[in-house]
Amino acid sequence: MAGRNVDPITLSVVRGVLETTQREMTLTLEQTARSSVFNLAHDYSTALFNHTPEMILQGQDIPIHLGSLIPAMKSVAKFFEGDIHEGDIILHNDPAYGGSHIIDTCMYFPVFYEGELMFWTVCKGHLTDIGGPVPAGYNPNATEIFAEGLRIPPVKLWDRGVPRNDVINLLLTNMRARRDQEGDFNALIGACQVGARALKGLVDKYGKQVVQDCIAELLDMAEAHMRHLIAAVPDGTYSGTAILEDAGHGFGDFEITATVTIEGDGCHIAIQSPPQIPYFINSYEGNSHSGVYLGVMMFAQLPPPYNEGLYRCVSTDMGAKGTLCNAQSPAPHMNCTTTPMETLTDAVRLAFEQAAPDKVSASWGHANGCNIAGWDKRHDEEYVTMVLASIISGAGATASQDGWHAVGPECCFGALTSGDIEMLEHSYPIIIHRYSLMEDSGGAGRNRGGSGTCWEVEPLDTPMTLITFGEGRRIPAMGAAGAKSEMVSKKVGRLEITRGGKTEVITDNVIETIQPGERAANFNPGGGGFGPAFERPVERVVDDVKNGLVSLEGARRDYGVVITDAATLDVDHAATAALRRA
Amino acid sequence: MQTQYRLGIDAGGTFTDFILADRDGHVRIVKALSTPQDPTLAIRNGLALIEEETGISPAEIVSNADLCINGTTVGLNALITHRGAKTGLIATAGHEDSIEIRLGHKEDGYRYDPEYPPATMLVPRHLRHGVRERVISTGAVHTPLNEDDVRAACRHFLAEGVQSVAISFVWSVLHPDHERRAAEIVREMMPDVMLTVGSELYPQVREYTRTSTAIVNAYLGPILAQYVEAVDRQFRAMGAKNPVRYFQSNGGLATGEIVANQAVYAINSGPASAPQAALYLGQPYGEENLITVDMGGTSFDITLTWQGRANVSKNIDFLRYRIGIPMIQVETLGAGGGSIGWIDPMGLLQMGPQSAGSEPGPACYGRGGTQPTTTDANLVLGYLSPGGLVGGRLPLDVEKAREAIRIHLAEPLGLSVERAAYGMFTIVNTNMVNGIRRVSVERGYDPRDFVLNCAGGATGSHIMALAREIGIRKVMISKLASGLCAYGQILSDVKYNYMAPAPIRLEGAEAAAQLDALFNGLEIKGRADLTQDGFAEDRIGIRRSLDMRYVGQVHECTVSVDPFEITEASLDRLKAAFHARHEELYTYSEPNSAVEVVNVESAIAGKVDRPNRMRLAPGKGSEAAVKGLRPMIFAADGVSQETPVFDGAALGAGDTVRGPAVIEEVTTTLVIEPGWTAVLDENGTYVVTAD
Repeated sequence: MAGRNVDPITLSVVRGVLETTQREMTLTLEQTARSSVFNLAHDYSTALFNHTPEMILQGQDIPIHLGSLIPAMKSVAKFFEGDIHEGDIILHNDPAYGGSHIIDTCMYFPVFYEGELMFWTVCKGHLTDIGGPVPAGYNPNATEIFAEGLRIPPVKLWDRGVPRNDVINLLLTNMRARRDQEGDFNALIGACQVGARALKGLVDKYGKQVVQDCIAELLDMAEAHMRHLIAAVPDGTYSGTAILEDAGHGFGDFEITATVTIEGDGCHIAIQSPPQIPYFINSYEGNSHSGVYLGVMMFAQLPPPYNEGLYRCVSTDMGAKGTLCNAQSPAPHMNCTTTPMETLTDAVRLAFEQAAPDKVSASWGHANGCNIAGWDKRHDEEYVTMVLASIISGAGATASQDGWHAVGPECCFGALTSGDIEMLEHSYPIIIHRYSLMEDSGGAGRNRGGSGTCWEVEPLDTPMTLITFGEGRRIPAMGAAGAKSEMVSKKVGRLEITRGGKTEVITDNVIETIQPGERAANFNPGGGGFGPAFERPVERVVDDVKNGLVSLEGARRDYGVVITDAATLDVDHAATAALRRA
Repeated sequence: MQTQYRLGIDAGGTFTDFILADRDGHVRIVKALSTPQDPTLAIRNGLALIEEETGISPAEIVSNADLCINGTTVGLNALITHRGAKTGLIATAGHEDSIEIRLGHKEDGYRYDPEYPPATMLVPRHLRHGVRERVISTGAVHTPLNEDDVRAACRHFLAEGVQSVAISFVWSVLHPDHERRAAEIVREMMPDVMLTVGSELYPQVREYTRTSTAIVNAYLGPILAQYVEAVDRQFRAMGAKNPVRYFQSNGGLATGEIVANQAVYAINSGPASAPQAALYLGQPYGEENLITVDMGGTSFDITLTWQGRANVSKNIDFLRYRIGIPMIQVETLGAGGGSIGWIDPMGLLQMGPQSAGSEPGPACYGRGGTQPTTTDANLVLGYLSPGGLVGGRLPLDVEKAREAIRIHLAEPLGLSVERAAYGMFTIVNTNMVNGIRRVSVERGYDPRDFVLNCAGGATGSHIMALAREIGIRKVMISKLASGLCAYGQILSDVKYNYMAPAPIRLEGAEAAAQLDALFNGLEIKGRADLTQDGFAEDRIGIRRSLDMRYVGQVHECTVSVDPFEITEASLDRLKAAFHARHEELYTYSEPNSAVEVVNVESAIAGKVDRPNRMRLAPGKGSEAAVKGLRPMIFAADGVSQETPVFDGAALGAGDTVRGPAVIEEVTTTLVIEPGWTAVLDENGTYVVTAD
């Protein structure tokens, strides 16, 4: 703080303007984007960086992007060091330069003031396609990143205010549904410009030095706050191990271990994972940052705003190069933002559960969903999209309340929106037969995990390809504080395909084609429970039964509550007491 | 104006405001405490106060008046406390849970908060019944309605004692027959319940929005019906000759019967009349671009008009419930006189949204409040008179205010009490400025192009600072500011919205003909309704809006146009309006991309007679109105200067007050900052401009 001239009032004002700026960028993206993945899923980030570049404000976007923009911005600035000009717009998606997965496309806009670089406005969004052999990018058969789509190292899309149409054309030519991708490039650029406009207004008003001093101070304050939280945790080494299930690759289940070392007001998180595999669940370092930071935030439980100062006292080691959580080229990686990120987060969360048991919440349901693609006869055009409604799982319960229904998956932590089913049917030739909560899907506990969802679809009049991804189809979301479930099969995800009256249950990641008249139902897991399930008050179990969230069998097996009459919901209290004692 | 009086009643949370205008240009403002248990009591109390002041009896006023009232508080309270009617939902099987899934989203700001609860369900899951039926996106029937399922739902509802039923099916807007048939069955089996049919209430594409809107309507309907009945009965008993008009959140008036059936239009209608009042005040100056700010005890409401039209919002979350119907956009912040100053975990000074409310209230009220609030800061800064508010009815204690600020803010931050107070003032203003950006910048408008207009009793201390921060150079403050919304009601037209789904790409003659027919159909119905309501053809006005987007976009942008015949040739006019709006909002447009419409709406208004403006006698110069001097603080350094205090009642038309100064009106205090000059016009509006 030495030498800074910061008064506490101006500081609060600058903070407010930064938040408003980020909000206006977000709104622009949300309202204009073509990709339902990023404007409904909020599968984007908008962030502001200073000139150094350190992240000075991160939007309240999905945690998938919590960390990865930080290393990405730094590598982009380094790549173009000495060659950054007013009016440049840089695009990048490559995980080798700190990106998450290549379908997340980032736009970086340097903001100059009186000829001096002061800020970067940055946006990142999940496009609907990035080229490659499989529509929407999720190719479970890819053994290398090259078979997943177009890798884009930092490249200038605009040079000193002039669009480089040859470059833009080269990129778009390699993507499906070009119209949508082009629209989304425009949306990202528009959002960056909206942000730049607001930041220049801030400097107009307060001057460069005051703004820079306030920002430096805000970073320091965030750092101090996180240090304060960590200092309250007893020094020591805590470790958590979570299991990443084999979702069809055949290499078996893997363990990911997080070792959290707390020393004073600092924290070191070391990750250990098996060697990378030729399957799309490898996570490069940038993406792994997001997984780790989400675990930290589940402990810190901080309200916004968020900036890079929060992580100054958190050092990380993602493990040896060439491992699952610190992958290197040419590892395939498309699924990494959900798998293994959620398992990585669980491992960190488990370590913190031991370090600070009073601040624990249960794990959320992991993502397992589908992308769809086919031909739309109504307009004679191809369609391809990730279906957000197919990944909505349940939230983990906390010490104070049941988990929220239908706000997962864990990697999104409630930030996404799944889109209105009529708008989906309007945009794609499909019929959505069901979008509902699921009986018995929430993890059992004194506080129950939130319900997962079922999304059931039928193609309207042409065949449809479904490409599934994720895991959480065998191992349910982990409970906390001693919660666990007996009835597991209802709490995990699965895909059910019904053809000619026969239903096939699929728990691997697959590419399937279904015809009109056939249906695919994607089930998502519920969240984990909190505390022993037999301690859940009987009347709350009865209320869940009344509302179809728990079945009679579930009441008995998961909660030890014996209901003798399905209509009146009368409870046999003696039998209940006996079961609960056992 | 055919009757002798127009009486506007704005039933707010703390006060019920009355504005009484007569044919001769007298306009009076009266405030009575709200009586949430029995809103008609506040009406009787207010009329009694008017009689005390003027000698005109309630019966004389009511029997010679057009009466305009809102039902905001009734609807809001029921929604906030979850004390609406016991409601059941009949939905398409497989889609019973859309209102609980809420598009899979948790509100921003609570991402990692382990204690933020889910929204309370207005209809619990066991009262949401799926029935087998399905219409698809082309409007074709995929599965016919299973009537036995509807009957089973009714039997369940009867057994449960359900009082209100909502029916909402997927794509019912393209093929309403299933909902209509289900409604017949419900009416037959449950003749006593209130019934809301999704495709009738809100015929627009988006199932979640439509279902949620229908449920809010069903949940509030019986409560609003009771309120309307009580108010109508009260006024009939007092001799009212004309039907009472109720103010709606769409910015227009409606009859009681319509408000009871469309209860969702009544919630948050209070602040929605501000734009009409603003336009009326601005009219003599040709001002049509106005932002109105209304600061009360706990909240701050912002509305905007551009070129004479108020911003409208559709498809928003209100108190955590999705509501589709077009409402005047009201941006509400937790920033009021009672907002508490505190230091957040990062060490930053924050104001609100927690509020000390009116009980215990700000520390300076001396009713046990110990937290420093906006009002405490304004008192320390010298803006408010230690003699108290509301004409001295509420005395203020400066020492308690200083103490609260010193303990909770000044000492922890290492500032003097004066500097901390100015900091509180600055931060609450920053919050409000950020709110103003939401109605302006986020809607594609530059706030510097607007006049800032004052509503509400607490706004006068802040409005000049807000103008300064935003870069606005002209401010209007009416003597009626503290009851401006009630005033807006008696200036408003009768207005109804007619909507239709229109998923149509804007290409070719067929699309044009389809759109033209849709609008004409809506407007024929609208004209018929207003004619029946007594409006002559030449008093009926129409404004169209279309929700449009580039093909492939997920969100629409609403484009508003005057009616014209839609032909293949004139489609370009619609497209041009859309491209222009997109560019205003988002910095770019795509003139070569395909455009589609999703929903259309016609707002149809019947113009009412407006009362005459307030008339003030010419002033005798402002010097005579100086009551005294008070030290006030106008800068971050916390240094005070002796500043004149004017008695507003002693000022007349044409009188000029140069800042720094304070003008005290009975129901509000205006702070004129240095560098600004206020001129009181003959209509009772202070027009304040930057030097």
